[in-house]
Amino acid sequence: MTASLDSHNDTTLIARIKKGDERAFAQLVKRYEQTVWGFAFKLCRNKEKAEESFQDTFINVFRKIDQFDSRSKFSTWLYTIVANNCLMNRRKRKLEGLLESLDEAPDIENEDVQRQLATWDDSPVEVMMNKELREQMDAAIQELPDEYKVVFVLRDLEEKTAEETAKILKLSVPAVKSRLRRSRIFLRHKLHGLMTA
Amino acid sequence: MKQSHGNIKKHIHTLSCGKVYEHLCDNLDAKLDSESCRRIKAHIKGCKNCSALLDSLKKTVYLYKQYPAPALPEQSRKKLFAVIHMEKAKKRPAR
Repeated sequence: MTASLDSHNDTTLIARIKKGDERAFAQLVKRYEQTVWGFAFKLCRNKEKAEESFQDTFINVFRKIDQFDSRSKFSTWLYTIVANNCLMNRRKRKLEGLLESLDEAPDIENEDVQRQLATWDDSPVEVMMNKELREQMDAAIQELPDEYKVVFVLRDLEEKTAEETAKILKLSVPAVKSRLRRSRIFLRHKLHGLMTA
Repeated sequence: MKQSHGNIKKHIHTLSCGKVYEHLCDNLDAKLDSESCRRIKAHIKGCKNCSALLDSLKKTVYLYKQYPAPALPEQSRKKLFAVIHMEKAKKRPAR
């Protein structure tokens, strides 16, 4: 019986869930569990927290499904719920000033900056994915304030467009672009030591 | 519309690295064919430093993309449906 629900689109499944069809809800979870889990893990960088976020997200979906406007895209709504779960615990924006300073272009006429740029050229990324690098990557992304991290994850890792990211986070497209630029430069700067070691 | 080689050369000189930096991060692999995109690409092609910066940004993103995510634990799914079951019981009107 569940198999027959496979072919239903999200709108049909959601209409069934609204009528109390538990199997339709199970089908919706099956369809989106990897999306929610992957996104939650990329945001939390921690299995326990990702699990918590996974649970909270689908429980929220179940509780609030009546509020979902079927004219919207379900995945956009879902991403918004996961992001809100993550942002609920947002930390103080102690790095805000530093991130804003990243809007200025680096002085690429400067010899030190030129040396820094050149050294990345020789780093084969395939051989760099070791434990030390993963730890550094976790530490770097965790230093980003959540409202920046979520933009980086949506745009670069989930490959959402700037427009969809803006819709998910209820931001303007220029705000998405600005946060993405700062996040990328910040992460690049944080990984620099390893890429040149 | 194709640009002549001479025009591209001119753009390399008319666009500053700072201006390129502003747009560099919008879309690292932009395949857009707008006039501004062509100008930025032309600048990067001819500018060693902007090209190195773009490359390092691409590597940063690539590294995060390659980061392996663990599989969803089976117990998470079970736990979820146990909670949903309780939620449903709460929703049901008492007789």
